[in-house]
Amino acid sequence: MIQFVQALISGLTLGSIYALIALGYTMVYGIAKMLNFAHGDIIMIGAYSVIVTAATVGMPPVFAVLISILVCAVLGVTIEFLAYRPLRQSPPLTVLITAIGVSYLLQNVALLIFGSEQMSTPMMFDIPDLTIGGITVDGITLLTLGVTAVIMIALTLFINKTKVGKAMRAVSEDKEAAELMGISVNKTITITFAIGSALAAVASIFFGATYVYIKPTTGSMPGIKAFTAAVFGGIGSIPGAMLGGILLGVIEKLSMTYISTLWSDAIVFGVLVLVLVVKPSGLLGKAQREKV
Amino acid sequence: MKKIVSLLLSAAMLLGCMVLLGSCGAKEEWPVDENGLTELFIGGIGPLTGDYANYGVSVRNGAQIAVDEINAANPEGILGFKLVYEAQDSKGDPDSATSAYGKLMDEGMKVSLGATLSGETAAVTAAAKEDGLLVLTPSGSAVSAIADSDKAFRICFSDPAQGKASADYIAEYGLATKVAVFYGSDNDYCVGLYNTFKDECAVKGIEIVMVQAFTTSTNTDFSTQIDAIAASGAELVFLPIYAAEASSFLTQSKGKLDGMKLFGCDGLDGLLTKIDDPATANGVLMLTPFAADASDAKTQNFVKLYKEKYNTTPDQFAADGYDAIYTIVEAMKQAGLNSKDVEDFNARIIAAMTKITVNGVTGSMTWTPDGEPTKVPMAMEYKDGAAVLFDPTK
Repeated sequence: MIQFVQALISGLTLGSIYALIALGYTMVYGIAKMLNFAHGDIIMIGAYSVIVTAATVGMPPVFAVLISILVCAVLGVTIEFLAYRPLRQSPPLTVLITAIGVSYLLQNVALLIFGSEQMSTPMMFDIPDLTIGGITVDGITLLTLGVTAVIMIALTLFINKTKVGKAMRAVSEDKEAAELMGISVNKTITITFAIGSALAAVASIFFGATYVYIKPTTGSMPGIKAFTAAVFGGIGSIPGAMLGGILLGVIEKLSMTYISTLWSDAIVFGVLVLVLVVKPSGLLGKAQREKV
Repeated sequence: MKKIVSLLLSAAMLLGCMVLLGSCGAKEEWPVDENGLTELFIGGIGPLTGDYANYGVSVRNGAQIAVDEINAANPEGILGFKLVYEAQDSKGDPDSATSAYGKLMDEGMKVSLGATLSGETAAVTAAAKEDGLLVLTPSGSAVSAIADSDKAFRICFSDPAQGKASADYIAEYGLATKVAVFYGSDNDYCVGLYNTFKDECAVKGIEIVMVQAFTTSTNTDFSTQIDAIAASGAELVFLPIYAAEASSFLTQSKGKLDGMKLFGCDGLDGLLTKIDDPATANGVLMLTPFAADASDAKTQNFVKLYKEKYNTTPDQFAADGYDAIYTIVEAMKQAGLNSKDVEDFNARIIAAMTKITVNGVTGSMTWTPDGEPTKVPMAMEYKDGAAVLFDPTK
């Protein structure tokens, strides 16, 4: 029983980080209708930014976190402006390949600047662990879960209740029609990227706090897993990203504990295939009919 | 007509290229430096950048120290030779290592220090076999790294030898009777060590109570494996893994594996440069033939020179590189080679390898015809940011 709960908890840790990353993926996809494969690498940049500001320059954690969020938001907007905006009218495949290119560009720039040796994230939050009846929950896990839930609710409210959110939904629905209604599509997409990348920064802070070591390739695997989580939960759906992320983390950890540490990825992706066969739009995704 | 002309032109160009390529094959001549000394070109290959750069850089630095030391001690040349050493970057990738080997051959390499990691050493060994060169890898430890060639030798223990030696060491000093293993199941080095460790444990009556594994795509989160090991009741965890993964393992297992000894092999070398807090590595044991704080004059001298030049304490890879250079010199002496007599250089130096005994900083070594060294292992313990000789009798 303890083993089961322990596995569940480490699944929640992993899952809440997946969920945070997946929120960014799903947001950009839901509004700009594009897969930003560079999202995972923005996390890596965010993590390095924390290391530079907190460990090298020695800033207090609050500033390090704020700067990391700012760096990622600016980076996301810049990438959108330079790489994706000129391709607004191009076929989706072109944008997709560009996103993969941007991903490799970021990885290699980080390799040039920081070298390939892993760097360690400084301890920033000292949250006491919670122990109940022989089961220990890391403080950082609770914080990650809490922050992810708050962000999910805030995002949902933002998109459904604010004027900018309304503009985002309109752009998502039909870009041309939104433009005719006086909505600036470019501005809306810029805001989307800024928010999505800021979320990546938040994810990077928790990733660094949980797993400590950062390398230029750090973002790629969690990026892929989080993308899977977003598809799992229904890409474009914000509660779906949260649910998908947490489920993915828990399934991965349970299969590692009870089946095999080596088969966990195969099982995770197997479950994804199953879900997509039964419900192609993902767990919470809206079924969309393609107009032919 | 135009087509025919262009075809002819391209054919001519192709021919030209082939002639050029042919002319820059292996150089047979022995270059002489400005002081009239014949140059003996020794080429090393290893990851000088990338994830495994610490290993490649250590080997290069160690070899360079030996070369400088020998050249400085012999202004008239050692056996009439001036040693010239160059290391090429492979990034740890066998394909890059093969091209690096080609580049070194073009520059006139006479003896190859193989490569640093096992996979790339195998690639270099295969390439060097055709050229007939002596390959003496300081650190390529997988059996397959030198198995296909009778011209290849190594300074370090082979992986199976390390796995077996670890089990023997644990049994001999009664470190544990119940052990857990944590290893990378898609890595030659880890698998090689694990397999021989397992076999030797069966022989020595050590019980393996838990085996946990990871792969390169799942090397971030080890919490499941650590929980399983913590619950297994093992007295010792055998870690035949590299330093990068070991640092993650140690950081994540903080406070969870209290009372269990942690025991690794040469892959843990450089752990302190990777880990966030040196105290995390306290108590970790490492099987190695080289101890930087050993008291013999040879080791002290090497450590002093190394610290002066590179400002850090040499690890086992550096010591392997250092010993490799001295081994080459010893083999040349045994073979009666000198700058006046370099006929059949490759064949004679290779034949001498199994006849020599080298007293290096990694111990006293002799070689079997398979290319394997025989020497006695020691264990080091990490303590407050340094690796010190472990006294198992305490």
